[in-house]
Amino acid sequence: MDPIVYVSLGAALAAGLAGAASAFGVGVAGAAAAGVVAEDEKNFKNALILEGLPMTQSIYGLITLFLILLSAGIIGGGFKFTASTPDNIVKSAILLGAGLTVGLTGLSAIPQGVIASAGIGAVAKNPKTFTQGIIFAAMAETMAIFGLVGALIMIATGVGL
Amino acid sequence: MEAGTITGILDTTLALVFTWVAYKTGSYIYKYTPYSYPNARINAMEAKLLTEQRFNELAESRTLNNFIVSLEDTDYREYFTDVSEYSLEEVERGLERALAGTYTMMFNVLPKRVGPFFRLLLEEWDVRNIASVVKAKSLGEPASDYVIELGSMVPKVKAMAEAKSMEEILVILEGSPYEEPYQKLLLGEISLQEFETELYRMHYSKLLDYALSRKGEERVILEEFVRLKIDKLNILTLLRAKAAHMSAEEIRPLLINGGSLKLDSMLHVDDLSMALAELDGTKYGQVIRDVREEVEKDLSVLERTLEGHIVTRMNELTRFYPLSVATPLNYIVRKEREIRKLRAIAKLIADGMPAERIKGIVGGVA
Amino acid sequence: MFRPEEMLKIEVITLNRYKDTLLTYLHEEGVVEIREVDVDIAQNDSPNEFHRKAASYSITISRLVDFLKAYKKSTGGGIKSFIFPAEPVKKTYRYEGIEKLIKDVEAFLSVVEPEIKAVEGKITSTQTEIERIKGDMAVLELLSWLNLDVSYLRSTNMLEIVVGTVDKNRFGALVDDVKGATEGRFTMVSREFKDKVMVVFLFLKEDYEKANPVLAKHSLERIEVPEGRGTPKELLKVYEEKLESKEKELEAAKKDAEMLAERYYEEVRFYQELMENERDKASVLPMLARTNMTFAMTGWAPRNGVSSIIEGIKRVTDGKVYINVKDPSEEELDEIPIKLKNPGWARPFEMLTEMYGVPKYNEFDPTPIIAFTYSFFFGFMLTDFFYGLIVGVVAALLVKGHKRFNDGTYKFAYTLLISSFFTMGMGALFGSYFGNAGDVVLQYLTGNPSAHFPRIADALRDPMFVLILALAIGLAHLFTGYTLGFIVRWKNKDRRGAILEQLPWMIIILSIVLFATKNPGLAMPAKGLFGLGLVLFAVGEIVANGGLAGLMIISDFFGFVGTWLSYARLMALALATSGIAMVVNVLVAMVWGIKISAVPLGIVLGLIVFVGGQLFSTAINALGAFVHSLRLQYVEFFGTFYSGEGKPFEPFRARREVSKLEVEVEA
Repeated sequence: MDPIVYVSLGAALAAGLAGAASAFGVGVAGAAAAGVVAEDEKNFKNALILEGLPMTQSIYGLITLFLILLSAGIIGGGFKFTASTPDNIVKSAILLGAGLTVGLTGLSAIPQGVIASAGIGAVAKNPKTFTQGIIFAAMAETMAIFGLVGALIMIATGVGL
Repeated sequence: MEAGTITGILDTTLALVFTWVAYKTGSYIYKYTPYSYPNARINAMEAKLLTEQRFNELAESRTLNNFIVSLEDTDYREYFTDVSEYSLEEVERGLERALAGTYTMMFNVLPKRVGPFFRLLLEEWDVRNIASVVKAKSLGEPASDYVIELGSMVPKVKAMAEAKSMEEILVILEGSPYEEPYQKLLLGEISLQEFETELYRMHYSKLLDYALSRKGEERVILEEFVRLKIDKLNILTLLRAKAAHMSAEEIRPLLINGGSLKLDSMLHVDDLSMALAELDGTKYGQVIRDVREEVEKDLSVLERTLEGHIVTRMNELTRFYPLSVATPLNYIVRKEREIRKLRAIAKLIADGMPAERIKGIVGGVA
Repeated sequence: MFRPEEMLKIEVITLNRYKDTLLTYLHEEGVVEIREVDVDIAQNDSPNEFHRKAASYSITISRLVDFLKAYKKSTGGGIKSFIFPAEPVKKTYRYEGIEKLIKDVEAFLSVVEPEIKAVEGKITSTQTEIERIKGDMAVLELLSWLNLDVSYLRSTNMLEIVVGTVDKNRFGALVDDVKGATEGRFTMVSREFKDKVMVVFLFLKEDYEKANPVLAKHSLERIEVPEGRGTPKELLKVYEEKLESKEKELEAAKKDAEMLAERYYEEVRFYQELMENERDKASVLPMLARTNMTFAMTGWAPRNGVSSIIEGIKRVTDGKVYINVKDPSEEELDEIPIKLKNPGWARPFEMLTEMYGVPKYNEFDPTPIIAFTYSFFFGFMLTDFFYGLIVGVVAALLVKGHKRFNDGTYKFAYTLLISSFFTMGMGALFGSYFGNAGDVVLQYLTGNPSAHFPRIADALRDPMFVLILALAIGLAHLFTGYTLGFIVRWKNKDRRGAILEQLPWMIIILSIVLFATKNPGLAMPAKGLFGLGLVLFAVGEIVANGGLAGLMIISDFFGFVGTWLSYARLMALALATSGIAMVVNVLVAMVWGIKISAVPLGIVLGLIVFVGGQLFSTAINALGAFVHSLRLQYVEFFGTFYSGEGKPFEPFRARREVSKLEVEVEA
């Protein structure tokens, strides 16, 4: 395949996978939020904050998309790897890899949503567990952060910004 | 390397990774998503279960009127809105409606793949009602006093209670699964007690079949729940029978299959305390150890203990599988216990029992 | 600072007749945490008749409050009353003992309760009436195909008439069975609706008993035929009129309720608060020990409040009291309630420490450090001057409006306000003003396409720099944590723990710093330090875990690496902020030029997108910054030294929002 395919696939998968995962995560947590609010409106604030947690992965995806496009020259200038030489293919493949790293680690938004959902339920039972619920959910995000760091290193060292 | 080789490796890797990820993600979402809403909601409802302090305050209400007023800032409120006179029957009806409402809600909010279990659970009330109506009828007592307005066939049960003869009841039950055992009863093939056992046996085998037809966590949890219930019933039947000095052959037809407990060794002992000693060697030993002495005097203590054991187990499962069917089951058993307590309090208040005594008694009705 | 408030244990014995006054005095002061008196010779106290009444009245009154609240005309509301809530008026009550109070409440209720109950009863009964009428109307609609006087559908002396619906697929069987049971002596009319059949059966009285079980068997759902005469259509009109008049009645009753709400709401709230406080006061009675004449009480109070409390107790008991105050002993270390003590600027941050758990009495209170690091991390992750400004303005308003309540909103807004200063600072440092919007405007104004605000680095172009910065900050944060842990353990005589658990990491971090200088002269000492740290760490693991040490060494070492890398979130979120801001700006730039025949529609659209987008970005990134800044404190930082296992100080205190108590001291 041509380099452009890999580059755009990388950018699309980074933002797309992470975004879809965030959507699922927020969806799961949102269902739980709706459930606890249906029983008691007092739960609204806590549920809202917990529900918002799985959104970050989509942001990481968006940043990676931006960095990939920047690195490949699509933003600011012209596409750098038009010719289908092995060197260009490797470089574009690295960008694809970076995108994939963020996209796949971005899937952590789904379990994060599930944790947040369980957390929302737990907070409804005992409001004192709110902070703990947040921390538990924030744990799942660590993987996405590592993914972003990895992708950053791949882009910066493998291709250059 | 050739450009073609590179792209070939890349493409294959991509395909593999994506198939795996899609499968994993899909099954993960399928497993947890459907429980997100109901379990969160049930957790919020659990927060509203009445506290010990609340029960104490209720015990001090003195009149049924106050009793209902105290319940008015709870979710029971909606079940008492059309209560005009505060009679014990009205209160009991209200509480029954509340329990029925809980079952219906579970059925409505839970995912389709387990919801029907709660409808099946509701049928236990049918079994109870049919058994008590038939018993009352054959003893010539007014059957309608024993009808609890819960279950999937309340109108039929009511009609049965009003029936003039045993044959009329057969007509009403015609076409239902309960027809066959009832026919046997009418023909004298089985005793009244065996009839009741047969009803429960049918009910529990239905529950068990359903539980076993599920997959994964759901199967584990539902199966454990049903087996616990069967064990409870069997242990109680067996010990009561032993207390009445019945022989193994007499007891055997009264037991229900499907429990997790082997009962053979308990069947062949001579009296209650030996049966309890046998029970001590099983997994229930731990459960009854603390109340052993009381149990020998009063078997209802054991019933409460076993009931409490189910609650504890379900609570453990809930902690282990927070997004699973354990949460609603745990809620249902707690709610049932709460309503039992409320009924007891209401009854004692109506009997004019002083508050301190009520607290003492109800504290025990676990 | 850094240490919780010093606490003293107070023991009081006095006469029973002062109990009510003394408890009320302490309840109003709210500086003593009462604990259970542990003596075997005396029995515990229990609530008396009046306390029980207080509990039951508090439920009754809260029901009235709920009812009136629903009909109270809302005043103001909205954002303004959220930011600047009005201070409720506090009514004074002269407290002369609980008997008098209960009497007053009873007097009040005897007037107000029947009035409210009457209106409430009227409303509910009218509502049920309306529901019933609506139900009847629905039935009449169903019956309208019959087109005959509904009075013919009622049973007579000779005939039993049954109206009902049955599942369509059971209808045939039902008719057959009825035929069999009554030997054909019945008539019926029926009509199909969707999946149900509606049917009217007419039996002779004597046949009915045979038919009835059959009807039940097929689950015929009976329909109650509404009262009245005439065809369903005629009757519907009558019912509609009824409905209308009932609805008018309901309106009138609701008006009455509104009037009652206006007249009594404040007063009912006042008595509710009085009763709830009595209920709360009664909750400590089981902790007291009593004899026939005296009672004993024990509790904890902060040292600086003790002298005035002692004086107060002496005053309310006429000096007929035994008071013993003592310093906590070593064994009571786990018992002492913890009240954090910090200077004013850090006090609102105590909330963050309390959310995790307060320190033990001999431990370190990390609040002042958290106050700095939390705000700084928040600022680092939000890194935008204008976002900081927006957050700061909102927070400042909330601080101003809520300061006198000292409530959760105030504390949270205060932490936000401090954080917003850091955000603005970091934003200025990285030249971020609504992301790159500031630069774009600057470029437009100066005409220079590469003009930009002064900055130390462009986060999006040079993320590696930000990453390294973030990791360096993380290292410093962790080092602080380990050092604190070391000091606390050393002071508390747990020297071995300090050396084996905290010290190795301190050494390792120092060696990493030396490595990072890339100074060849420092390479050797760095290696030496690293080796020393590693050995110490390994020894610690072996001492703690014995056989499992091998596994634990690997897992804990990479745990440390993971913890350290976790600070990469500082960079990730900073990048996220500038990323989203830039996306918004790009969108605006895209629509900016759109014109429809000279009308600069693009500018309007652009402004809307810009304001909406940037506000959204502020909100979502602030949420992220809050959560992750907190997480870095709780998981990474506290993980190095903090237990948070202390018992928070929960004083015996009255909650007064709309009432004030003037305590009458018996002469």
